[in-house]
Amino acid sequence: MTMQTLVDGLVLGGLFSLSAVGFSLLFGVLGVVNLSHGAFVLIGGYAAYTLHEKLGLDPLLALPVIMLGMFCLGYAFQRSVIQWATKRASLLASMLLTYGFALMIRNALVLIYSPDFKSVTPAYAFDSLSFGEVTVGLTRVAALLVSIVLLAALAATLRYSNIGRTIRATAQQEQAAALCGVNIRHVFALTSGLSAAFAGAAGVAIGLVMPFSPPDETLWTVNAFVVVTLGGIGSPAGALVGGLILGVVNTMTAQLIGAAFPNAMMFLLLVLMLVVRPAGLLGNSFKGSR
Amino acid sequence: MKLDRRTVLKSMGAAVALPAIGRGAQAQATETIVIGGSVPLSGRAAETGLNVNNGYLAAQKFFNEQLNGVEIDGKRYKIDVRLFDDASDPARASTLIQRHLDDGVQFFLGSFGSNIVLPTAAIVERAGKPMMQTGGASDQIYTQGYKNIFCMFPRASRQLYNTIEYFKVLQPAPKSIMFAMANDAFSKTLAEGAIAFGKEKGLPINDIVTLPENITDASSLVNQIRSKKPDVLLATTHDQNSLLIARQLISSNVDVPLLYLSLGPQLKSFRDALGGYSEGLYFQQFWDERSPYKDAFFGSAQKFADYYRQHFKRDIAYHTASGAACIVAYVHAMKAANSLDPAKVRDKLATLDVESLYGRIKFTPEGDGDPVHLGSTVGQVLKGTAEVVFPEASRTAAPVFPAPKWAEKRRG
Repeated sequence: MTMQTLVDGLVLGGLFSLSAVGFSLLFGVLGVVNLSHGAFVLIGGYAAYTLHEKLGLDPLLALPVIMLGMFCLGYAFQRSVIQWATKRASLLASMLLTYGFALMIRNALVLIYSPDFKSVTPAYAFDSLSFGEVTVGLTRVAALLVSIVLLAALAATLRYSNIGRTIRATAQQEQAAALCGVNIRHVFALTSGLSAAFAGAAGVAIGLVMPFSPPDETLWTVNAFVVVTLGGIGSPAGALVGGLILGVVNTMTAQLIGAAFPNAMMFLLLVLMLVVRPAGLLGNSFKGSR
Repeated sequence: MKLDRRTVLKSMGAAVALPAIGRGAQAQATETIVIGGSVPLSGRAAETGLNVNNGYLAAQKFFNEQLNGVEIDGKRYKIDVRLFDDASDPARASTLIQRHLDDGVQFFLGSFGSNIVLPTAAIVERAGKPMMQTGGASDQIYTQGYKNIFCMFPRASRQLYNTIEYFKVLQPAPKSIMFAMANDAFSKTLAEGAIAFGKEKGLPINDIVTLPENITDASSLVNQIRSKKPDVLLATTHDQNSLLIARQLISSNVDVPLLYLSLGPQLKSFRDALGGYSEGLYFQQFWDERSPYKDAFFGSAQKFADYYRQHFKRDIAYHTASGAACIVAYVHAMKAANSLDPAKVRDKLATLDVESLYGRIKFTPEGDGDPVHLGSTVGQVLKGTAEVVFPEASRTAAPVFPAPKWAEKRRG
């Protein structure tokens, strides 16, 4: 039973990680707490739902298309909204602005899709894999694999590619990077695009395993915040570690203490981490953590 | 034409008087009974909120367009339902209700969700105005001594009495029953009332699990079912959480001979999401359009459903019917009182006992629905349709117990 709970926790943690990495990146590089992050996650979920219902496209096949679309949305969001707010006012203004955007997106989703919950149910939605006594739903396995592959790809891009180095350089020393010829505005927009693309991917994975509705955006923003606090800002590894810890704590608490207590434990952990290690487990000196 | 002083004065007098006469004539033709309220059209409760909203609006449309309003004390009135979106927020709903009161509204309709109805009911009660509602069934509302708040449902702790009676007559008799309740006021009270009544009836209720209000993972519940193997799982959860539980049970291949999800399977969208796997699921069913209820205005439950479908795109749900019945109850009470005095209408609501499209409307002295006449029946999904299987008097199909296993459903 413990092994089953552990596996369930890791699967849930994979979802938490993927849904938080974009939030972490934007916070780390731009220093912006994007309170519309959960709404971006839901846009991904609704896009997967629409493509599945209208075109019969499997959510996993639709993933690259959705990520591309979300990248463009995130890029435009930064150049038109966040940049405007941070230039003319302050980072706090960008927080209020993103909160306003979250409300607008939530209500737009209600208008377009109605407030009814939606779920993406591909043909394999009810199948499962068994390893000895451990059974896991196929969609959950798929969601976990998607999370691990995408997080690894993002980590590799940030570490080894030119654009990754530029993003890291900008995150560490914005002015120095600009003096070296880096187009800061473009890098910020690229980061925002990546953040939205990963939020969209998380939405697809979430849509595969659970029903969702517009008010859920708050839940995914709060989860991302907790994961980032646990794992550390600005790194995919931090998001992965934070997400997995949160997932396992969630299921273990539900199993050993009571199903009503995971949220209480999650926030207790958040407070402890803020007191003991405010930069998170794998925190760095990026903008958001300074 | 010769313009003397007298002609000018007459003309001016006529010019001033005519619009006033016109206004008087217009007011007589369009005199209205304003019924105010708020409903959640956005936010977490919006899904059912929309059903309630549509029920209110369907009844308003029917009375105004089909019956040319209602006649009270020799005068004809149009019904003017004025609803605000409270965004599922109790604080916002309270402000909106106060605004209605400030505007002089005399009759009220309730929002959806006990957490919203409770504070708004307190405001309306203080003002001494009646409120008909179909969205607040938490016991807290009916133990405050309120005299003006009436609900189409029995209080939560009494809603599952028929379900418990059904468990009592199951063959083979269940040896173990597990309850899972979401950690919100309504779901908890619903389960606690059923548990108390079930224990009184001698049912083997062995396990009680409390779930978070919003569930992102039901694996701990699935694991408990896997290890304890109950014959019955009764989950008092809202639609979205119910779907998550069902999906995880199916993909984990964990069977329960009787899976009862209080809310969810009554919705077509829920049954569509599960496809053939929804077969045999049990749920709380308050209304079925095929029920033989007669209504003094709509004709019958079926005629109401037909009228609704002609004019609204959204699927019909029992909250739609109960919403419409709130207006029907008001009209019956106003006619019986032969007055639009809120206190007299309130007194007639308290003693109302009429058959309607929603069933027999009768309230307890505390204002919640009579548990026998307005209580829930036991529903089951059979051949993709939501049927009533208990009590026998309301039955539209024979129940299936134990339900087929997931593996059998997978094979089709």
